[in-house]
Amino acid sequence: MGLIGSITLLILASCSNNTNEVVVYSSVDQIFSEPILKEFEEKSSITVKMVFDTEETKSTGVMNRLIAEGRNPQCDLFWSGDPMRNILLKSKGITAPLHSIAASKIPSFAQDKEGHWIGFSARARVLLYNKKLIAKEALPQSILDLTQPQYDHKFAIANPLFGTTTFHIAAIFSAWGTEKGMQWLTGLKKNNVTIATSNGDVKRRVLKGEVAMGLTDTDDAFEAKKENSDVDYLFLDQEKNGLGSLIMPNALSLIAHSPHPENGKKLMEYLLSKEVESQLAQSCAQMPLIKGVKTPKQTPSLEHITPMKIEYEKISHLLPTIQERVQSWLEH
Amino acid sequence: MSSITLEHIHHSYKNNLTLRDFSYSFGKQNRVCIIGPSGCGKTSLLRLIAGLEIPQEGKVLIDGALVTENKNLIVPPHKRGIGFIFQDLALWPHMSVYENIAFGLHEQETNQIDQTVKRSLDFFGISDAIHKYPHQLSGGQKQMVAIARTLVLEPKVLLMDEPMANIDVQVKEQILIHLKTLQHLYGFTLLYVTHDHREAFEIGEEIVVMREGKIMAHGTKEEILKTKDSFTQSFIKI
Amino acid sequence: MARTLKYLLSGILGVLLLAPIALLLLQWIGDDGSLSFLNGKTLSLIGHSIAYSSIIALVATLIGAVCAFLLTQFHIRFKSFYTFVLLLPILISPYIFAVAWKDIFIAVGGEKVMDKSILELIFIHSLLFFPLAMVIIMSALSRISASLEESACMITSYPRAVFKIILPLIQPSIGLSFVLILIFSLSEFSVPAYLGINTFTTEIFTQFSAFYNTKLALSQSILMLSFSLMLMLSEVKILSDAPFFTVDMKGNRTRIHTLDKGKKWVYGFLNTFVFLALFLPLSALVYQSVFAQETFFIRAFDLIAPALVNSVILAFFGACAIVLIGLWSAWLKERGRYSLPNTILLVMFIVPSIVFGIAAIHFYNTPIGNFIYGSMLILIIGYVAHFGFIASRIIANGYKQLPPSLEEAALLMGISPLKCFRKVTFALLSPSLFAAFVLSFVLCIGELGMTIMLYPAGMELAGVKIYTIAANAPQALTDTMILINLGTVLFFIGFFAFGGKILFKRGAHE
Repeated sequence: MGLIGSITLLILASCSNNTNEVVVYSSVDQIFSEPILKEFEEKSSITVKMVFDTEETKSTGVMNRLIAEGRNPQCDLFWSGDPMRNILLKSKGITAPLHSIAASKIPSFAQDKEGHWIGFSARARVLLYNKKLIAKEALPQSILDLTQPQYDHKFAIANPLFGTTTFHIAAIFSAWGTEKGMQWLTGLKKNNVTIATSNGDVKRRVLKGEVAMGLTDTDDAFEAKKENSDVDYLFLDQEKNGLGSLIMPNALSLIAHSPHPENGKKLMEYLLSKEVESQLAQSCAQMPLIKGVKTPKQTPSLEHITPMKIEYEKISHLLPTIQERVQSWLEH
Repeated sequence: MSSITLEHIHHSYKNNLTLRDFSYSFGKQNRVCIIGPSGCGKTSLLRLIAGLEIPQEGKVLIDGALVTENKNLIVPPHKRGIGFIFQDLALWPHMSVYENIAFGLHEQETNQIDQTVKRSLDFFGISDAIHKYPHQLSGGQKQMVAIARTLVLEPKVLLMDEPMANIDVQVKEQILIHLKTLQHLYGFTLLYVTHDHREAFEIGEEIVVMREGKIMAHGTKEEILKTKDSFTQSFIKI
Repeated sequence: MARTLKYLLSGILGVLLLAPIALLLLQWIGDDGSLSFLNGKTLSLIGHSIAYSSIIALVATLIGAVCAFLLTQFHIRFKSFYTFVLLLPILISPYIFAVAWKDIFIAVGGEKVMDKSILELIFIHSLLFFPLAMVIIMSALSRISASLEESACMITSYPRAVFKIILPLIQPSIGLSFVLILIFSLSEFSVPAYLGINTFTTEIFTQFSAFYNTKLALSQSILMLSFSLMLMLSEVKILSDAPFFTVDMKGNRTRIHTLDKGKKWVYGFLNTFVFLALFLPLSALVYQSVFAQETFFIRAFDLIAPALVNSVILAFFGACAIVLIGLWSAWLKERGRYSLPNTILLVMFIVPSIVFGIAAIHFYNTPIGNFIYGSMLILIIGYVAHFGFIASRIIANGYKQLPPSLEEAALLMGISPLKCFRKVTFALLSPSLFAAFVLSFVLCIGELGMTIMLYPAGMELAGVKIYTIAANAPQALTDTMILINLGTVLFFIGFFAFGGKILFKRGAHE
């Protein structure tokens, strides 16, 4: 009887019909996103209920949850670390369009024309390297250089089927074409590239000296530098007419038929602000998209980076085909 | 007939002293019954003779040969030529009647195992149970199989630890008659533990009465009935 | 009345657990229930995966059996310590274990040591899962009546008695260990994913998480589920329901031997596995957390403490629910000759946690079902689904050792069934109930795959938090959180063990 009573209490406690709340699913690292969401909670008095994601290779997480909940959404706002996931959700009819007030502050390349997602605070793909294992002069300057013999057994990439690495490869394929893209992948394999489980794993391996360098995101690289001064990072393909570095904005999407759409909009507007971009620049070196945001010295600036010239929607459509080829490459 | 001698045995079980400076020699008679209340050390005595337990102090000799001495097991149980019938009969549940009986014969690399098993089952009148499993047998049948299993190995000494505990009176009487016949036939020394003095009087040529690890009285049935020991008198309700 | 209640409760269990899966299956059949996914590649992959997992199951069962044998059959100094310590790998998340061991391999032999090697997978999974075999076989060995062994020792040497008598009697438990470990190993994806080894489960996971191809992932899951179901059904039919199960009355002792000549080998064996399964990986974690550039204890504690409280509460209620339902299922099967709840739990046990997560969302995420979906209850249902079968088996084995005559005698005296259960059955079953509770508690706290799909928004749970924080936090911070989590679980296990000891002692005196 005691057990039944306790369970009843648990249900009742969990089922408080609180309209003054917002549910956000975030695939941005909890360590960076949670403080911002908590601050919104304090300032707005709206209770923020958060669901965070693990690295994709550790669990199926938030994306599958959002897709499965499609008929009866629990989430109001989806905060993603890159627009690929938002575009996928849009294709499944899970997102709702919103033309945010802040949209005018965000460059057009970083938002959906129909308003299903809007970007802010971007990361970029970088090469993290261990200064004790490779001299600055010996570093590759382009991702193509990674296929050269001197880099045999020297670098790692995260599993190319997941996360931002898949995004990066899709972007490369989109820029170069499939044939050149596959040649590059073949070259990586010939150079015995180490396949790590995630960007965090790439960071870990470079920090430990298991590999000399690895492709990862700016926030991982930034954390790595904080942990150990023996590592540093650089942006590849920065020469004139070069490929450029992939820029990956955070992306926000309202969920269609969500329980608290108004609060979702309020949170979205809050996140698309100079204050939040400044905080993200401070905590994880994410580069602001809104002009005039104060950033610390160590945070790179988009103004000084040559970006890859790509369209996110186009890459998203290419993804399934590219992933199949990448899977085949991975297995053989 | 074999002799079993215990000298100055001190034995404890789970911090309870079961035998205290126990000395006795079995073998003057063929069939010895050891009786006494629960916890008096009867089972411990049998287990020490079998080599299944080791005394803290003392010696056990079988036919003059030292088999156990002061925590040292000199001769392991399976080399003592002893048969033991446990209170719960200990029939191996995963083996059929045939396999239970044949197991020991295989281990001793005996010839004509088949014939031996069938002959023993015929003797006990349970040939039709040959392929059955223990859980399919009645209490009496289990008893027969347990005895058959032990006797096919022709032990010098047969130890029986309250084997009739769960047997009805009629079957018990039959088994006791069988036992006497078998003892004459095979010539083993029988040490039979029971708490039922009527059983003891039925089968025992020598009765040993125990209490709290000590012998209170011993002798033939007539000698026991005439004993002046008050405990023995009250135990057998003279 | 009793029969109606039995059917009603079975129906409720079926609806709560089985209906979500059945619905998902129907949707799958409706969408595209073809077997076109059964190509050469798929069959080859599942074949390889079964082969690896079979080897792992064999090795782990062997190690577990030897440990169980040594700990139950011999006088070992610090026996409780060894038993406790050798069970601890169950508490460590497979992924963390793999990371720790990879670091050790690299420290010892360089980065190419056993890189992507199947041997590495076999090694890690065997160390992770052998405690399961150990606990199952120990339970079986401790219930073998001493007289069975002793009667054999009167005829033959001890090693022969072990081979001919004891081993056949524990055959069902060896079989069960093998099958359970095979299923656990087959469905565990984080270690092969980390080691870069392609298995069937990593393929399913890739379809879910990389391609978001739920349809194909479900098809592949159904294939794996079918195999696991065949395995479990054959285990139940051939092994566990074998009629020769030993019945041991309480108070009958098991035979314990003193070690003479083989002492150093025995201790050497046990110490080797304590070292490999616990000391080394834990040392790697401690080293990472203590010798980093910064120590993170306070920060780690602040991060994980609120989540730990929730996790402990949830695991406690989860374990209670699992044991209650497991007890009811075991009682019906062993005494009531009614196996439906047990069958439901068996089927649910082999459903991959991701599949159950998705099925549960589809089924419960409705306006009517929201009171379940939006609360801890959804997780408790998930835990019952995932672990109920293990509890049911442990308790059923306990029932098997209990002669029905004990309960029948009480009932014939006019004692009500409830009182009979409280005063007779419960006391005798308590070791099984306790083992089921502690194991369920540990499994609930460590469960990730389904938890991350179903945990209510706003609720923090330790296992989830460690992984979400680990996405981009210093390794030392993550390792410290893991150690705090481990320490907390150990504390509660110790607490339960202490409480259990007092309860059992009190019961024995009564």
